Amino acid sequence: MERISLKKSNLFKVATVFLPLALIPLFDHNPYHLDLFTTVGIYALLAMGLNVVVGFAGLLNLGYAAFFAIGAYTYALLSLHWHCPFWLGLPIAGLVSMFFGFLIGMPSIRVRGDYLAITTLGFGEIVRIAFNNLDAWTGGPNGLLGIARPKLWVPSFEGGLHFETWSFSVNPAPYGYLVLGLVAGTACLLLRLSDSKFGRALVAIREDELAASCMGIPTLKVKLYAFGVSSFIAGIAGCVFAAKQTIITPDSFDFVLSVLILAMVVLGGLGNLWGAVLGAAVLGTLPELLREFADYRMLVFGLIMILMMIFRPQGILGGQLIQRELDVRHKESADGAS
Amino acid sequence: MNAALELFIQQLINGLTLGMVYALIALGYTMVYGVIQLINFAHGEVFMVGAYLALTAIWILAALAGPLPFWVSFAALLVFSMAGSALLGATIEKVAYKPLRNSPRLTALITSIGVSFFLQNAVMLIYRSKEQSVPEIIPHVQVSLGRISFSLIQGVIFLTSIGLMIFLTWFVKNTKLGKAMRALAEDPEAACLMGISVDRVIRVTFILGSALASVAGVLFALYYGSVNFHDGYLAGLKAFTAAVFGGIGSIPGAMLGGVLLGVFEGLGAGYISSQWKDVFAFLLLVAVLISKPSGLLGENIPEKV
Amino acid sequence: MRTFKPRSLVIFFVLLLGAWTNGFAKDETVYIGLAAPLTGDQAYIGIGLLQGAQMAVEDANIKGPVFGLSGIKLLALDDQHNPTQAVLAANRLISDPRVAGIVGHFNSSCTKAASAIYHEARIAQITPASTNPEISRQGFDTFFRMCATDDVQGPTAAHFVYDRLKIRKIAVIDDKTTYGKGLADEFEKKFKALGGTVVSHDGITQGEKDFAPLLTKIRSLEPELLYYGGVYPELSLLIKQSRKLGLHAPWMGGDGIFDVTLIKLATPELSEGTFSTMLGVDPRSFPRARDFVARYEARFGEIGSFSAYAYDTVNLLIEAIRRAGTSDREAVLREVRNTRDFQGVLGTVNFDEKGDAVNQSVGIYKVENGKFVFLEEAKPEVR
Repeated sequence: MERISLKKSNLFKVATVFLPLALIPLFDHNPYHLDLFTTVGIYALLAMGLNVVVGFAGLLNLGYAAFFAIGAYTYALLSLHWHCPFWLGLPIAGLVSMFFGFLIGMPSIRVRGDYLAITTLGFGEIVRIAFNNLDAWTGGPNGLLGIARPKLWVPSFEGGLHFETWSFSVNPAPYGYLVLGLVAGTACLLLRLSDSKFGRALVAIREDELAASCMGIPTLKVKLYAFGVSSFIAGIAGCVFAAKQTIITPDSFDFVLSVLILAMVVLGGLGNLWGAVLGAAVLGTLPELLREFADYRMLVFGLIMILMMIFRPQGILGGQLIQRELDVRHKESADGAS
Repeated sequence: MNAALELFIQQLINGLTLGMVYALIALGYTMVYGVIQLINFAHGEVFMVGAYLALTAIWILAALAGPLPFWVSFAALLVFSMAGSALLGATIEKVAYKPLRNSPRLTALITSIGVSFFLQNAVMLIYRSKEQSVPEIIPHVQVSLGRISFSLIQGVIFLTSIGLMIFLTWFVKNTKLGKAMRALAEDPEAACLMGISVDRVIRVTFILGSALASVAGVLFALYYGSVNFHDGYLAGLKAFTAAVFGGIGSIPGAMLGGVLLGVFEGLGAGYISSQWKDVFAFLLLVAVLISKPSGLLGENIPEKV
Repeated sequence: MRTFKPRSLVIFFVLLLGAWTNGFAKDETVYIGLAAPLTGDQAYIGIGLLQGAQMAVEDANIKGPVFGLSGIKLLALDDQHNPTQAVLAANRLISDPRVAGIVGHFNSSCTKAASAIYHEARIAQITPASTNPEISRQGFDTFFRMCATDDVQGPTAAHFVYDRLKIRKIAVIDDKTTYGKGLADEFEKKFKALGGTVVSHDGITQGEKDFAPLLTKIRSLEPELLYYGGVYPELSLLIKQSRKLGLHAPWMGGDGIFDVTLIKLATPELSEGTFSTMLGVDPRSFPRARDFVARYEARFGEIGSFSAYAYDTVNLLIEAIRRAGTSDREAVLREVRNTRDFQGVLGTVNFDEKGDAVNQSVGIYKVENGKFVFLEEAKPEVR
């Protein structure tokens, strides 16, 4: 058996992709590019999170934006009412979102396939409408404004060692690094996860649930964990989003966003972590590249989506996963023989 | 009659009218799902295009023919819109879904989202982005009983929808094509071995589903008197919900689901709160799915062993 | 490295980098940034704004260069009335050094989200149409607004209903958007303060078509007037469906319903007697505006409710650029702030210290024979 630990090769992979990206803000000070960089990073977090349920476990979730919204509103409310610092809000937002993930997952994971899709879709709509209607807490359609930006404590040596607080500002570059760090961290976590017992159980369930349960995999429990992990990531992404925008309104979390994230996962290649990141990069930047088209923009966007899928149905990086699984199996049997 | 009862009956009529439209759209979702297990996101847009085609037909009629008896122009609208949408449905199937027949299921789902974006924006660019007003073709006549009113257009909606549902049930039960559709839904490989032309059946399914959606579009445009390129989104979402509610893949289920959803929404908005009604509708849906995971009339297909 | 091919990722980012390094070619033209919903369900408004702005730019170029040899151009971006997209669009505009000032956005939520970015970039932002009062309370000296806020329009309407129509019992509906709900709330607050009764306040969903259940419920409450906070497509359906259900109380709304399309959609017969408040005066009734409206309609067809606002806003910005004699943002901002008695097609504009246009009058209109007919001009209360 392979050892379950954070393999050096995984760290290396993550570093080769993200270190060059980390250089971008050093050379490019254009705030628009950096903002786009950050936004794509948030999309990438969401796509990686959704990939856990859709790509690894094969559960179609059409209400993913709801978990993103829960994370964003959690941090916004914590910050506005209790002046909760960002770094504490980040895990709390993830945990609250995960709690709701379990809550919606527990009853609905029993339903199979596309029925799960519609319960999650229903949940997504319920959350958005509730945020829009609960004026007293969420500000209704006006949303919440004045959400605190993250602060850092920077050591200063002038006149003895002490710490100065340094706050994020409108400048998107620090957010870019923050998001990049989170994306890299999540990538490491997920790579480790997919090599673990849990990851294999997920793939087994996706490929053949019945066989998996016959092999003694607690399918319901494993699926529920997947749901939890995925909503945790969405909650984190929501928290960062709220801290970056400083204003959140329910219309940022509509069904179209859920669909867009799903499209990123599928376009990149289902079940492939790098695919999710790439899908986020493509679908996140494409509308920006098309901005010049003004009112033709979304028409061209739709057309490109159709063409991409027709010419590359398995997704840009798709088809590697099966290969990988075969490789692993091959290697394991070789290990067994030796 | 007492006022509370009158109010209730009026709310029931309101809900049923909307439910009929949902049911017609839901049929398309359910039929397509039945044969190729695809959630066809573009179906709502086909419905919207149907409504715009009705508007176009009214313009053409007004320019060419002058005043006609209302049922003649209504029939002309239906034919024009159904033909146009059937063509559109068949084209979408051919261009966007057929090349992906053997790909992972989610792939076609994404192209259907692409088609949906494309159609919405194409209509926006062709017909301009403003809400368009649809001239009244069916005269505004209504029967009133106390404070309950029932208009001619509501009658037309009821008759047309029920007629089409009866036709569809007959078609699926008794015609060769209908039987082929059911066979394909049951077991595609066996159907193929029995000499059923899979491509043809799928094409017919799309044509039928799109035609039904366009009828819903025509009725919708005439009833509300205005069309917007964004109409397909909300109506499609609701109809999809209705299809799952009734049991996706089941034709009577889609009808029942649509009608029930409409009634439920009507009563929810009338008695509880109009801004929370969608929340109640979705809560009900989730509750139904959890207690009966295959929907109201869906068949409980045992998992493959 | 059997599973991982960073190659495609790298290629993608290299391509992207290539697109970036293209940079912005040096050119003499001064740009005005415009951000509005150009796609999506509110595209009709955004396109109306864009066309009004285009006419202002064309007029300015006919007059001659703004300074030196510079002509003026519009850089229009779509924000899809989504705050996330609005922030992206704002960053895109400020990162283009040729952009000297911003016109936008339309939706209050977008205007609010983007205003911090414009403030940081020290660039003047003038919204032609966002009416939410919160935006100017943020204390940004870069923010300006051409229209009256909801806390002017709503109470004016309440006074009119209570004092002039002598109506005491009303029902309120809004579309649960920043604009619609804000307006309806301000109206309700004032109407209650005056001593009137509000029998119900309900929310509807924008884009929905069937309001019969809600209206059936309201019918049983017997209000004397129905106030709607929202935009005209939904109101046209509300009017039609209420009349069919035998609910005959008149409707009233704000600037969002002030559009002839409302009458077309709801039919002239059924919309007869509907009241509306509109910011400023009706461009059609205003002599200075008549020429603009005629030229607009000859060029693009029917005028949008906010096209004249966009025209005025762009003209005000161009005048500021001319006075500044440079495209330097800080200089342009200073000149926008120094605007005194700008003569627009919709009247004279001055800004107060918060950046809101002062003394914006509110006109009250009533639909008669298929037209919005001007009833009276109400000066807002001094707050």
